[in-house]
Amino acid sequence: MSKTYFDETHCAIGHPKSKFMQWMLTVDHKRIGIMYAAVMFTFFFVAVFTAFAMRLELFAPGAQYMDGDTFNQAFTLHGVIMIFLFVIPGIPAIFGNIVMPLMIGAKDVSFPRLNWFTFWLYIVGCGIALTSIFLGEGVADTGWTFYAPYSLNTGTNVIMALVAAFVLGMASILTGLNFLVTIHRLRAPGMTFFKMPLFVWGIYATAWIQLLATPVVGITLILAILEKYFGIGIFDPSKGGDPVLFQHLFWIYSHPAVYLMILPAFGIMSEIIPTFSRKEIFGYRTIALSSASIAGIGYLVWGHHLYTSGMSDTAKSVFSFLTFFVAIPTGVKFYDWVATMYQGKIVLSTPMIWALGTMITFAIGGMTGITITMIGLDIHLQDTYYSVAHFHYAILGGVVFLMFAGMHYWFPLITGRMYDEGKAKIAFYLNFVGFNLLWFPMFIAGYYGMPRRYFDYLPEFQIYHQVSFVGAVIFISGLIYMFFVFYKGWTKGEKATPNPWNATTLEWHLPTSPPPLENHTKVPYVDFNPYEYHHGEPVVKFDYKTMQRID
Amino acid sequence: MVDTNNINYEVEKKGYYKVLIGLLLLTGITFIQPHLFMAEASFVPQMIIAVIKAYLIVIYYMHLKGEKLIIPMVWFTLTLVLVFFVIVIGIDVANFQFGAESYITAPTAHQ
Amino acid sequence: MSHEYVPEIATDRDGNQHEVQGWQDDFYGGKLGFWLFMFTEVMMFGAMFLTLAYYNSLHPQDFLEASASLNRWLGGFNTVILLVSALTMGLGLLKMRAGDVKGAKLMIWATILLAIVFLGVKAIEWTAEYNHGVFLGLPAMQGGHEGSMPFGKILFFGMYFTMTGLHGFHIIIGIGLMIWLLKRINSGKVSPEHHILHWNIALYWDIVHLIWVFVFPYYYMIGAGITVAGGHGGH
Repeated sequence: MSKTYFDETHCAIGHPKSKFMQWMLTVDHKRIGIMYAAVMFTFFFVAVFTAFAMRLELFAPGAQYMDGDTFNQAFTLHGVIMIFLFVIPGIPAIFGNIVMPLMIGAKDVSFPRLNWFTFWLYIVGCGIALTSIFLGEGVADTGWTFYAPYSLNTGTNVIMALVAAFVLGMASILTGLNFLVTIHRLRAPGMTFFKMPLFVWGIYATAWIQLLATPVVGITLILAILEKYFGIGIFDPSKGGDPVLFQHLFWIYSHPAVYLMILPAFGIMSEIIPTFSRKEIFGYRTIALSSASIAGIGYLVWGHHLYTSGMSDTAKSVFSFLTFFVAIPTGVKFYDWVATMYQGKIVLSTPMIWALGTMITFAIGGMTGITITMIGLDIHLQDTYYSVAHFHYAILGGVVFLMFAGMHYWFPLITGRMYDEGKAKIAFYLNFVGFNLLWFPMFIAGYYGMPRRYFDYLPEFQIYHQVSFVGAVIFISGLIYMFFVFYKGWTKGEKATPNPWNATTLEWHLPTSPPPLENHTKVPYVDFNPYEYHHGEPVVKFDYKTMQRID
Repeated sequence: MVDTNNINYEVEKKGYYKVLIGLLLLTGITFIQPHLFMAEASFVPQMIIAVIKAYLIVIYYMHLKGEKLIIPMVWFTLTLVLVFFVIVIGIDVANFQFGAESYITAPTAHQ
Repeated sequence: MSHEYVPEIATDRDGNQHEVQGWQDDFYGGKLGFWLFMFTEVMMFGAMFLTLAYYNSLHPQDFLEASASLNRWLGGFNTVILLVSALTMGLGLLKMRAGDVKGAKLMIWATILLAIVFLGVKAIEWTAEYNHGVFLGLPAMQGGHEGSMPFGKILFFGMYFTMTGLHGFHIIIGIGLMIWLLKRINSGKVSPEHHILHWNIALYWDIVHLIWVFVFPYYYMIGAGITVAGGHGGH
């Protein structure tokens, strides 16, 4: 009975005997990823609860059980948790940590103790955000965007929220830094950049955004704190300050942040599609380079959040043009994925149907984004339910759905067991139907003028809110059921083999399932491409004792 | 990897002192410049001198000379700073559309 | 972690051996990681320069006058102090790499001393400004009443205290890092064979210096060409 990473671990400080302290002090990337997942999904459900509370309030016009101020706090908390605590750490924190080093044949990340420190920094940030709910006037009520001048004047716990976001931003920066050095330094011998799996490309591009964009919001939040506390004047019109400058500085990060969210998700898509089409991915180089170009061009488009702020027409035109441009690499990826599936032997396992469902929902999210890139349309649709539906289709229906796909895909790798396939599929359909019922009516409501962040509305919009509420109930049931299926799978599921999907990338060529502490028995020499299939079967085979190729 | 220890101590030390003299001279020039030329637009020569100083520091004190991987990363970061913070905002500011009505820029706002 | 790390060997299909780079004992990786961290500092101070440049474009005359009222000689003195401290830090690293550990420690102490002098001069400057009524929270810096300065000057000084304050904060952290470095040298954890920490702290000090290379001319020197009536502590 060989040892796995659940039986033994390396620690940052000393050699603790208790299992609890071994988890608290572990520097093993696989355990750290699991801990991130546990905390993140807890907060995810807190934010889902706040969303459900809002949907309940909005079921009918007028105040039911929440007043306007509490509603403002609810959507702020929902946004802060979902964005800063869940989606931005998101796939990099969980799968970047657990899977990426395995994919490149490394034994851990470049700085394991920094990784451990970063996890606890993340916890501190979560703690500060959570504390802001219970102190003073409660959670900030400014929206997760903290726009000046309201954020400067409100008495709610804005400073705590800003500090929490800053600390969480630092954790994101350090994760990106760690992954960048890992990918540059620790790839197995022979693995050039163009022999890396596409998920690693996604993490690499994401890491550059984490590194270079996050500091901008970090300093913006500090400047906002200094403005609120010391009155330095830069965002306060009574001193000549310009609130639109805050918007610019905020979105210079927050737009690249959405690319930070989607690039690892696209990486997961690029792993699932070839495995379940039993075929080499079409256009490997273009997908890899499109990840890099999305990261690059994505830095230049932030102004499309400011069309109605009073920016000059020239600037608006520049940003609109660049935003259309950044959609092109994403389109390239979609075509490459479809081309991969063409004439492949499609296997409709749960990860694959999540990926296919996401192609539909993200395509809707992306295309509705294109509509509001047009300045004239955006003047009408800005700050309506149309925007809200757009970004939920893109983030929830894109990033989070692919995160769920990745969870189903790598579940046997991480836990050594398999979930019930039939029940997992039912969970998918509940989620998919509920999601669309919840969000699609909002496009229409927004088009007819339903504003966002409003806790009351005219009676003509009621039907949309009611349909959305039904969708919310189905969707949340689907979410809970999906986690139940995972729980049953982890505790009582069938034992899985190290390569249940018969995939080609290195994380599936481990000697045991779950993996041993030190990952591969020996680091292999990589003289093959990541997705080599021949007639539906993987080409590369290993002897797991020596990690020599035997094909 | 301790190949960074194969150094010629005397040569490197001389290099450090040469850079120091260069930086001190440049600092001196920044003090003389307002009395010599371009006094009304001091910003431009001051920033050019700052860039030259920065170049010397980065290449010599920070040992960046010859670094094949890190130099392109430095260029990428600087380009980002330049593009965001100078070009795009510069375009926006140059086309300031509501200067006459805005509280913070209108003439009544005490320049 | 442990100094006894032995790298793994991977063998390819032709029998050639390739050394595997592990995360332990990776000098280049440590250096690369620190350079990446420095890029984040560039982005942060870059955003602050953006803010400064923006308000400069709205209030050019105010900015020139406010700049002229700063004490150029104290600022210039600090520039030279920091410059020399960059030299001492660099020489310290050089001595460490050449095996002269005692000399390296002396240079680190010299750097710490110069850093403290820098902070002292900064404190004198800020006190002088406070005594002239120009400081965060004082009436001159609030808007919309009799005693307030014009918008451009409020914004100039708002960013002046922010940026010199954050820069000073980085200097304090630098002093802390150097003291920690001395402890690590004394306990043998940092030595001529394992000096990545020293290397990175020297790089850190260089970036602190680099920030000042841009802060100094932008705040102190742009107004040097104009004559101004009644500065405080001015030349």
